[in-house]
Amino acid sequence: MTSRSAPFAIRSSRFDWTGLFFAIVLTIVIAVPLLVVVTWAFTEVWRYPSVIPQQFGLRYWQQTLVRADVWDALWISIRLSATVTLLSAIICLPAAYAFARMKFPGRDIFFLSFLASHAFPKFGLLVAIAAIFLKLDLIATFWGVVLIQLVSTLMLMIWIPVAAFQAVDRRMEEAARDVGASPLRVFWSITLPQAGPTIFAAVLLTFVSTFYETEGAWLIGAPQIRTMPVLMISYINNQIVVQYGAVLSVILWVPSFIALMFARRVVSNGGFAKGFGA
Amino acid sequence: MADTAQISAHGGTQPARGRGLFGLLLVAIPVLLVGWLIIYPILAAIVSTLLVDTPEGATFSTASYRFFFSDGYSLANLSLTLWTTAVCAVLLLVCGLPIALYLRFSTSRFAAYVQGLAIFPMFVPSIILSYALIRTIGPNGTVDLLLNAAGLPKLPSPYLTPWGPVIGLVWDNLPLTVLMLTAGLGAISSSAVEAARDVGAGPIRVFVHIILPRMGNSMLVTISFAVLGIFSSFTLPYVLGPASPEMMGPFMMRTFNDLADPLNAKTQAVVSFGICLFFGLFYVWSIARNQGSRSR
Amino acid sequence: MAVSPRVLAPEGAFETESETTMAKLTIEHLRKSFGATAAVDDFSLDVDDGELVCLLGPSGSGKSTILRMIGGFEHPTSGTLRIDGQDVTRLPPERRPTGMMFQSHALWSHMNVFNNIAFGLKLRRLARAEIRRKVEEALELVGLAGYGNRQTFQLSGGQQQRVALARSLVLEPKILLLDEPFASLDQHLRERLREEVREIQQRLGITTLFVTHGQDEALAMADRIVVLRNGQCEQVDAPDIVYRQPQTEFVAGFIGSMNFLRATVEGGRFRHGDLSIALDVADGPAVLAIRPEDLGLAPAEGETGATVLRSTDFGSHIMVDLESEGGVRVKAMTSPALRFDKGSRAKLAPTLYGVYRDNRLIASGRLPASPGECKINRSVQTA
Repeated sequence: MTSRSAPFAIRSSRFDWTGLFFAIVLTIVIAVPLLVVVTWAFTEVWRYPSVIPQQFGLRYWQQTLVRADVWDALWISIRLSATVTLLSAIICLPAAYAFARMKFPGRDIFFLSFLASHAFPKFGLLVAIAAIFLKLDLIATFWGVVLIQLVSTLMLMIWIPVAAFQAVDRRMEEAARDVGASPLRVFWSITLPQAGPTIFAAVLLTFVSTFYETEGAWLIGAPQIRTMPVLMISYINNQIVVQYGAVLSVILWVPSFIALMFARRVVSNGGFAKGFGA
Repeated sequence: MADTAQISAHGGTQPARGRGLFGLLLVAIPVLLVGWLIIYPILAAIVSTLLVDTPEGATFSTASYRFFFSDGYSLANLSLTLWTTAVCAVLLLVCGLPIALYLRFSTSRFAAYVQGLAIFPMFVPSIILSYALIRTIGPNGTVDLLLNAAGLPKLPSPYLTPWGPVIGLVWDNLPLTVLMLTAGLGAISSSAVEAARDVGAGPIRVFVHIILPRMGNSMLVTISFAVLGIFSSFTLPYVLGPASPEMMGPFMMRTFNDLADPLNAKTQAVVSFGICLFFGLFYVWSIARNQGSRSR
Repeated sequence: MAVSPRVLAPEGAFETESETTMAKLTIEHLRKSFGATAAVDDFSLDVDDGELVCLLGPSGSGKSTILRMIGGFEHPTSGTLRIDGQDVTRLPPERRPTGMMFQSHALWSHMNVFNNIAFGLKLRRLARAEIRRKVEEALELVGLAGYGNRQTFQLSGGQQQRVALARSLVLEPKILLLDEPFASLDQHLRERLREEVREIQQRLGITTLFVTHGQDEALAMADRIVVLRNGQCEQVDAPDIVYRQPQTEFVAGFIGSMNFLRATVEGGRFRHGDLSIALDVADGPAVLAIRPEDLGLAPAEGETGATVLRSTDFGSHIMVDLESEGGVRVKAMTSPALRFDKGSRAKLAPTLYGVYRDNRLIASGRLPASPGECKINRSVQTA
C-alpha cells in the first residue's frame, strides 16, 4: 500500500530519505530563527563572536515589563482583539447560518462578495479605506482600527462557519424536529454543538489574526492607537536594547501558541485551505 | 437517493418567501460592511484620483497617474515590487510543491512532522518573524556566528537588501501554499497514480503526465493568492528590506502617513489594483466555479 | 383487507399506553411537485391501526417524499394528511404525533446514548426520574439495556440503528416512520434487525410506515405493500398477493424475478415459438409473464423449444437459463431430478401466468403440468 501509492520512490522497504531530508531542512529553516529569539529573550550578555551567550538571565524581562508603553500597547491590543472578535461573531455567525441553510435572492453573489477582501492587494485596499476614514475623522481612533480589522476578519468568520454549518447532517436536525424541538431549539441544541469546534477555531483565529495585524493598525491607528505589533516595529526601528524585542516576541507569541493548540486540526485537515479557494 | 437530494435543495419546512426575507436580513450587516469597507473605498479611490478639484468644480485629470509613471522613484519602487513578487512566487512553488507532493503521497512517520513544521509559520506573526530573521541572518546574527565558529568566510547579509523581504515572505507564505497545493493534490486519486505506475511510468512521468495536468488550476489559484498577498505586503519589506527603493507597501504607508499625501497614496493603491487585477479576477473566478460545483 | 397483527404482551408502560391509542393514518390525494415535475402524484392510502405498510419502489419513485410529508419535513403541494381524523397537513414536525427513524440513524454525535433518547422527553419537561425510567425501558426494548452511558460512535452500525429506534419509540408516537433504516447495514445484520423491528412493532402494535427499495425487506416485514413508480401508486396489497397477482407489468417485473414473453394475440391465441396458449382477451399486443418457478421444462427433440444456455445448481433447485424464440432469454427453476445440459433443447411449459397489456393485468391462468415434465414444489420458491 505504502509503496504503491507513493510515486516518488518512497518504498516501504526503503528508509524514507525524502522525509528525513524535508524534516531536517524545515527544522533548520523554520525552528532555528525562532529558537534564536527565545535564546535572546533569556540572555543578559551575548557578545560576538561567541556561539552561545555569555550570560543567561531574566533581567530584561523585568526591564521590559516595567515599561508603561508595553502595558498600554498590550491593553489596547487585547481590547481591540476582543472587540473585533465579539463584533464579527455577532455580525457574521447568523449570516453564516443563513448562507448555509437558507435560500434567498442574491445568496451566491453575496457569499462570493466576501472574497473581495482577498481579491485585491491588501495594503492598497487599506490605503483606499484610510482615505475614506480620513474624511470621516476615524483616523487615529479606536473604532477606526476596529473597522479596518473587520475587513480581514469578515471572510474568515463567514466562510469557515458556513462550511461548518453545511457539514452538519440535515437529518440530525430533522430528527430533533421530529422529537419535538422548535427550529430555534434545534439550532441551539443540535446545530451549534455540532458545528461548535470549527466555529470555535474560526473565532480563535479571528482573535489571533487581529492581535497580530500590523499594517492596518499602524495606518489607521498611528500615532494615538499603538498596538503590540506596532510598538514592536518601533523597537526594531529604534534599535534600543536587543532583548526588549526578544522578550516582547516571546510574550506576543503566547496567544498564537494557544491558537496553535486548539485550531491546528481545523487548519491542517484542509478545510481551512478550502476556505481560501484551493 | 435522488429524491433526498432534491429535497435538500428545496430545503426547509417553512414557506419560502418569508424565509427568504429573513435570510436577507441575517446577511444584511456583513454584506453592507463589505460594500462600505471594500467596494466603496476602491471605487472612491479610482474616481477621486481621476477627478481633480478645480475652482470650476471637479474635472477629469490623469495628472496623478502621469506623475507616478514619470517619477523615477515611483517606478523603481514598482519594479522592485514586481521583482520581489515574481521571485517569491517562483520560490514558493519550488519549495511548496515538493513538500505538498511528499505530504500527499507519503505514509511514513516523517509526514506528520513535516506537515506540522510546514504549517507552523502560519502561527508565527510576521512581526515576530521579522525580528527573528534580523537576529538570524542580520549582521552578527546566528548565521554569521556559526560561519565564524566553523572558520568559514562571512556571507553578505541579505538584511536591508531586496533578498531580505524575499526570505521573509517565502517563509511566511509557505504554510498556505503547502496547504492549498495539498488540497489540490487531494483531488488526484491514488488509483490514477497507481494505474500509471502499473503501466510502467516512472516518478517523473507520473508527475508530468498525471499530476501536473490535474493540478494546474490549483497551482494557479495558489500563486494568485500568494501574489495578491506579497505584492502589497508591508511588515516584512518595511523591517527587512532596503530603504530605497522600497516596495509598494512601505511606499504607500510613507506617502499616506509621513508625507500626508492621500491623493498620491491612492494613486499608488489604484496602480497596485490594476497590476493585480488579473490575479484577483482569476482567484475569484476559480473559487466561484468551485463553489458552484460544490453546492449544486 | 388489512389484518392488524396485535400480539400484545401487556407488561410495562410502553405496551399498555400504546394499547389505548388508536392510530389510523389517512392520506388523501397527496401531491408534491418540485417545479414542473411531480415527485408524488395524487397518492391516497389508508393505514389501519397497528398495521405495518411498506412503501416499495425504485429510486426516485417518491416513496421517501411521501414519508417525509407524513413526518412534516416536506410540504405537500396539495392533498390532506389525517392522523386519527385530525388534519395534520399544515403542522410542523415537532407538533405531529409521528416518530421517524432516518436512513443513516442521524444520532446526535455530541450526546451519549441516554441523552439521545432523553432529548425529546426533556423537551416535554418530564420529571427526571420519569425520563430515566422511560429511557431505560426503551433501551431494554431494543436490547441495549445498560448502554446509556456509551457515546454513539462507540456503537456498531446495528446498535446505532437500535438507539435511533429507541429514540423514535420513547415518545410513544402514534405513527412510526422508517426511512430505509437498514440501508447502510450489511446483509446479515439487515435481516436480523428487520426481524427485531417487526417483532417490536407487533408487540407495541404501533402503526408503521416503512420505506425501502429492497423487496426482500418488504416481503418479509409488511402487512401490506405499496408499490410506487414515478410518484404514483401501482399496487397496494398483502405481500403474497403482490407477488402472486401483480396488477401491473411494472410490479410483475419489479418484485421477484419474472419472465416476459411478448407477442400479438391473434384469434384468441398467444403464440411464442411452439408455445401456444388460448386467451380470452381481445386481439392485440400482450405480454405473458411467468415466474421461473412456474415455468416447467420438458425435453424437446430436434429444433423445437428453447436452447439451454446454462444450468446452475443451487442444491435445492436448478436454475436453467434458456434462449427462446427471437433471442428472448428466460429462466426456469427445475428440480434437481432432471438435468438440462448446455446446448440441449427444452420445451417451455408454463403452469401459472399473467397477461398484461398497457401495463395492466388483463388475464391470468393456470395450465396443468404436462406429463414428463419436471415441476418444482411451490414451497421452495419464496427464498
